[in-house]
Amino acid sequence: MSFPILSLLILTPIIGALTLSLSSSTQLKNKTIFLSGLWITTGEFLLSLLLPIFYDKSKNGYQFIEFHTWFDKFDINYYVGVDGVSIPLILLTTFLVPICLLCSINSIQNRAKEFVIYFLLLESFIIGVFVSIDLVIFYVFFEAVLIPMFLIIGIWGGENRLYATFKFFLYTLAGSVLMLLAIIYIISKVKSGNIELISDFTFDQQIELVLFLCFFASFAVKVPMFPFHTWLPDAHVQAPTSGSVILAGVLLKLGAYGFIRLSLPFFEYASIYFQPMIFALSCVAIVYTSIVALRQLDMKKMIAYSSVAHMGFVTIGIFTLTQDGINGAYFQMISHGIVSAALFLIVGVVYERHHTRMISDYSGVTNVMPKYSFFFMVFMLSSVGLPGTSGFVGEFLVIMSTISVSVYLTFFTAIGVILGASYMLLLYKNINFGDLKSDIKQLADLTNIEIFYFSCLAFLTMILGIYPKLLFEMINKSISLSIL
Amino acid sequence: MINLYQFIPEIFILSLILITLCFGLFNKDRAISLNTLGLILLSILLFNYGKDFYSSTQLSLNTINLFVLSKIILSIGSIVFILLLKRPLKNENLYRYEYVLFILFAILGSFVLISSNNFLTAFIGLELQSLSLYLMAAFNTKNLSSNEAGIKYFSLGALSSGFLLFGISMIYYDTGSFNIQNLDNFTAISEIGLSLVLISLFFKVSAAPFHIWTPDVYEGSPTISTLFFATLPKFASLIFLFRVYQELYIYDIKSLNYIFQMVCAISLLVGVYGAITQKVIKRLLAFSSINHIGFMLLGIMSYQFMSEGTLFFYLIIYLITTFGIFAVLLNLRTVDGEFTKISQLNGLRFTSNSKSISMLVFFFSLAGIPPFAGFFAKFFILSASINDGFIFLSIIAVLSSVIAAFYYLTIIKNMFFNKLEIELLDDNNKTGKVIFIASGLIITLFFIYPDPLINLVDNLFK
Repeated sequence: MSFPILSLLILTPIIGALTLSLSSSTQLKNKTIFLSGLWITTGEFLLSLLLPIFYDKSKNGYQFIEFHTWFDKFDINYYVGVDGVSIPLILLTTFLVPICLLCSINSIQNRAKEFVIYFLLLESFIIGVFVSIDLVIFYVFFEAVLIPMFLIIGIWGGENRLYATFKFFLYTLAGSVLMLLAIIYIISKVKSGNIELISDFTFDQQIELVLFLCFFASFAVKVPMFPFHTWLPDAHVQAPTSGSVILAGVLLKLGAYGFIRLSLPFFEYASIYFQPMIFALSCVAIVYTSIVALRQLDMKKMIAYSSVAHMGFVTIGIFTLTQDGINGAYFQMISHGIVSAALFLIVGVVYERHHTRMISDYSGVTNVMPKYSFFFMVFMLSSVGLPGTSGFVGEFLVIMSTISVSVYLTFFTAIGVILGASYMLLLYKNINFGDLKSDIKQLADLTNIEIFYFSCLAFLTMILGIYPKLLFEMINKSISLSIL
Repeated sequence: MINLYQFIPEIFILSLILITLCFGLFNKDRAISLNTLGLILLSILLFNYGKDFYSSTQLSLNTINLFVLSKIILSIGSIVFILLLKRPLKNENLYRYEYVLFILFAILGSFVLISSNNFLTAFIGLELQSLSLYLMAAFNTKNLSSNEAGIKYFSLGALSSGFLLFGISMIYYDTGSFNIQNLDNFTAISEIGLSLVLISLFFKVSAAPFHIWTPDVYEGSPTISTLFFATLPKFASLIFLFRVYQELYIYDIKSLNYIFQMVCAISLLVGVYGAITQKVIKRLLAFSSINHIGFMLLGIMSYQFMSEGTLFFYLIIYLITTFGIFAVLLNLRTVDGEFTKISQLNGLRFTSNSKSISMLVFFFSLAGIPPFAGFFAKFFILSASINDGFIFLSIIAVLSSVIAAFYYLTIIKNMFFNKLEIELLDDNNKTGKVIFIASGLIITLFFIYPDPLINLVDNLFK
């Protein structure tokens, strides 16, 4: 029995949350609570750094495996392990959660203890999704993520938060229950929830198509793909900054991760069969939401729509079913996780100072906040996909891989890149340049804490852009095994 | 010579009732503690020697296990209930020791009902149970709506008993026997008779479309009586329904099976659609219970795959959750009296940590969101039903639980997101507090350590 690092990763935030909840709330100051939360999550981040260090890249299959029987009678087991596909996402999660807490020290004044507790629970549930290799426990964590997120948006959100949080919860739940039925059916057929065993099992073709659609319903809502994306702008606009960061940074990746981890290896025939549908939906997502983003007046909404467009690249890349495509999609996931999180933080910074998200209320910000403009530029360019930043690698690989499928597909994805550049540049121009408005003058530049986390994020985008091999080394082998 | 050994639980309760009656003449307060003690003794007896009571009968091992487990659950449930009832009744100026007698009579009726192998005995058990329930509904005699609830419940209940008797007589006419087991040589008349019996049982468990009494009776009765209706008698009737389904092989009778499926689907849908617009929490819980009855019927129909364990597991979790929710509700009061409206829950988060968090756990559990025990209960029922081929019903079930999530979330919204308007009075009932915290812990910790509950169900079915 080796060191149970994965269980420790899941349990640390939960234990932290429990100790926090047992402490008396009246005596603790907000700052103390946030600091203790930060200590816990930073410890968690350091702990998760052990994963890439001790992960053996030369081996096939899952590592750090832990197995305990959970329900004897139903053959449901606590079965966790990681491979190259899950480790970067775990790192992304543990990296973003402390930043979420850091950015809300000032903005979250009321009910700070609850806030930190919900974030800790959220973190452990998300990690649970990424490490589980049994279907039932995967579903348990996948659904459990909804509870803290529902509360975070509902309690600390904007004026229309109830609508947004209900929409978020019910949309996701409606997708997930179909997946639950499919999971039950699969388990009844295969007599096991083990992901590896199910991958080897072949279903009847007709049934496989239905099962694929059930899984698709759940993941497409989570990603979100085109017709199911309407909850995302609402949730993003109403969520507090930290909520948007974790939503864009990690929660959207759960869907894409599900596609890679479950849909592709389980339903090989159906993945090819539904390829055209997914390409069509993703192309619509890329072009349509980019055009919608161009006309947005609200900064957060614009970035939310850009998220839909960027995740369109991810789904296209995944379903090209080539090594390059999936590599690119995966890279895009990680890069989007960092960049969109950073962009929401950028919006959060000015919102906290000026209390408005309307683009037209800002102008000439660069005159008073030069450091802010600098970081904004870095992330904007990365989102656009400038070579040298992380955004470029993913988009480039995806577009390259689409050529082998269809030139039209390449055409539409490339249009998406151009549209993406236009709305991001427009946003940057409108906010940072132009005449300095009188009420903008008193805005203070970034504080040291803000500079600290922005530089961390900027450093990550740069390093991934310049040396993408860092990530590819990790994922190559695992992905090549999960392809047909 | 009849072997009296198998009637020990019933005789025990009957003597408990008689002792309470005599004892109550002199010391009313002690009578209740005496009852508690007696029921504790009974559950210990059942737990240790339950199977021996029935060893001389010719029942199958499965049926014996079913009897013992459901009787254990009933007696433990009534212990919890008796511990809980003192404070709420005193608050309404209703505290009389006769109330406890009604409970004991209802439990006696449930015991008889569960273990009856004969339609007439079952009828007697059902009537004994129901008559106590009518009285409990109308127990608050000075309150108009309580009277209304009692009369409504009584008149509709009498009608359903009529159906039951008529159905039984038709079966007797056709087969010449009252036996539940070994009923063969069916003709159409027996089928009609059986369907009448089923209708009456559906009425008792408040499955749609025989559910109309439920919201009114739930709302009008004193909350403590509502808790009782929602849990133990319903549990007993459901077990009897299950026995009828199992012993008569309704699975093979096409027409009755069709009725079962229709009632299941209608219950699932009517439950959720009725609950959406409700403003009074007890009415909402009534409709939500109809939805859950749908799930339980699904469990009954698909018992063949994973044994009765899945159904029992669902029932146990549902009982625990309902006890928890009502313990919270009973602990809250407004200035005018019992608290009724959902909007009165606004801002509960700011006044009471333990209550709001346990309510959060209960409602997420009822909605079937993991990692709470309610999810696993639904998961097992769905596994069984999909394996038994009820795919269409399973789809209805999960979609209904999505809609159900909406109104459970609304309650959570009221507690967690809305501002505090009127502060509810805390009744400070220690037993109530212990009960809801304990049930909240069971529901939450089941995820981490499922063995005790699973084993309880499992061992009794092997």
